[in-house]
Amino acid sequence: MMIAKEENNIFLKQSNLKQNYAISTEKLNIYYGDHHVIKDVSLNIPEKVVFAIMGPSGCGKSTMLRAFNRLLELNEKAKVKGDIKVFGKSIYKMNPIKVRRIVGMVFQHPNPFPHMSIRDNVALGLKLNKLVKSKKEINERVEWALKKAALWEEVKNKLDEPASALSGGQQQRLCIARVVAMKPKVILMDEPTSNLDPISTKKIEELIDELKREVTIVIVTHSPAQAARVSDYVAFLYLGKLIEVGSTVDMFENPKEKLTEEYLTGRMG
Amino acid sequence: MSDNLNIRILKEKLFLICIGILTIATVFPLFHIMYSIIANGLPVLIKGGWSFLTGTLAPPGDGLGGIGPAIVGTFILTALASLIGLPVAVLTGIYAAEYPNSLIGRATRTLLMIMMEFPTILVGLFVMNLVVLPMGSYSAIAGALSLAIIMMPYVAVYTDEALKSIPPKYREGAFALGLTRAKVVFKVLIGLARKGIMTGVLIGIAKVAGETAPLLFTAGGASRVYFDGLNRPIGAIPLLIYNLVQQPYTNYHEIAWGASLLLMIIFLGLFLPIRLSLKEVKL
Repeated sequence: MMIAKEENNIFLKQSNLKQNYAISTEKLNIYYGDHHVIKDVSLNIPEKVVFAIMGPSGCGKSTMLRAFNRLLELNEKAKVKGDIKVFGKSIYKMNPIKVRRIVGMVFQHPNPFPHMSIRDNVALGLKLNKLVKSKKEINERVEWALKKAALWEEVKNKLDEPASALSGGQQQRLCIARVVAMKPKVILMDEPTSNLDPISTKKIEELIDELKREVTIVIVTHSPAQAARVSDYVAFLYLGKLIEVGSTVDMFENPKEKLTEEYLTGRMG
Repeated sequence: MSDNLNIRILKEKLFLICIGILTIATVFPLFHIMYSIIANGLPVLIKGGWSFLTGTLAPPGDGLGGIGPAIVGTFILTALASLIGLPVAVLTGIYAAEYPNSLIGRATRTLLMIMMEFPTILVGLFVMNLVVLPMGSYSAIAGALSLAIIMMPYVAVYTDEALKSIPPKYREGAFALGLTRAKVVFKVLIGLARKGIMTGVLIGIAKVAGETAPLLFTAGGASRVYFDGLNRPIGAIPLLIYNLVQQPYTNYHEIAWGASLLLMIIFLGLFLPIRLSLKEVKL
């Protein structure tokens, strides 16, 4: 197999105007105080695919993901240099609240609000962002989102019970429903299955496969196996540097970089 | 070797005995206080009957009458103090929790800690200067204001702590939904922290319901009128006890014991539910 040259790699190339990327970063640098976490990462993420960001623990992949919806700004120590664009528009020229409505997020630890009912968890973003008008519309959208998250059948008879009564896997799917209900264009997932059992993990991964028809999914994972199972494209991050990026099949069959190969074969990480 | 072991076992026993004795020495006064109040107060409550709770103060040296105005006054003062103090306190607590590293946030937190330990009589003097002297009279509103100032730091600190103890994942989750900071706090975090905040509110109320010093120069006291308006003096149980004990009349001393028992019942009525609910304060 031919090794693609860097300048022909669409994931790295700058100002590629023909492609409308869901997210693209330009010379992204992120600092936590004095610690330089992300180093000069330029990356293009195409639309309606599952894009995995893979790398060992502490390589900065979660930090980078949090920059994509400006959630990183909640941490006063974090500083971002460079630019991030969502569908061609710099997120730093948008209100962070608007960015987060377009770019939803699912976290490592399932975090439905435990004091609210299942219904209210899904409806909260809709209501407070005034995305729907009538109560009927809210209920319809809640049902639609729960079906999308493959949770409807399990909870349809207990929508008013507290979310904390659900199992960990169900809670994570509820979080996905909560995000899906807002109809974002991109969903960021920060190791969404790292706290779940294998069966729940499988359900979430099937769900990701289903969702990518309508949204772009950027998933962070430390597991090469998961990246191989769910993603179309994968970026390998090591110590804050982007080592390699490309289609998942290519990279797993024929890694270009020695570091990537070592990571994929379990000799590192 | 076995001698050595025996000495160690003996030491252990001695240690336990010492701890036991010291614990009893610590707890004994509390039980003695409760015992004397019940022993002296209960006969008064039984003798006075219902009218002890509803009637007005008897003349010197002649019967018991009732402490109705003081009971009503305590409830009015506490309610009014909560009305003034709670909203301010909860908002202050939210500010301290949301902006912990800002200069004002840090200053607020330090000031709250100082206010918690501040001598309450100084609060009374401050309010006297601020309200009583310009108005020319002791008043319910002055008393309520000093109680509100005393209640505030407790509620604010509990609110701050309750908000800070919420795992960050819920904050992030709420922000990630595209909510504004105000909505994150008021629609999500307050709900998560409600038990901690309620505990603070109840502790604040229990604290001021028994206060005497801040009322001395502000509420003025009233034992024969129930409620005469916000700008008029008002009674309170602790204040009444303080005043009655200084009188040379034995019937007044009896009334003071009865009032003390009542105050203790009110205090425990507020405090025990707090202690029980505290066990539930976790996320």
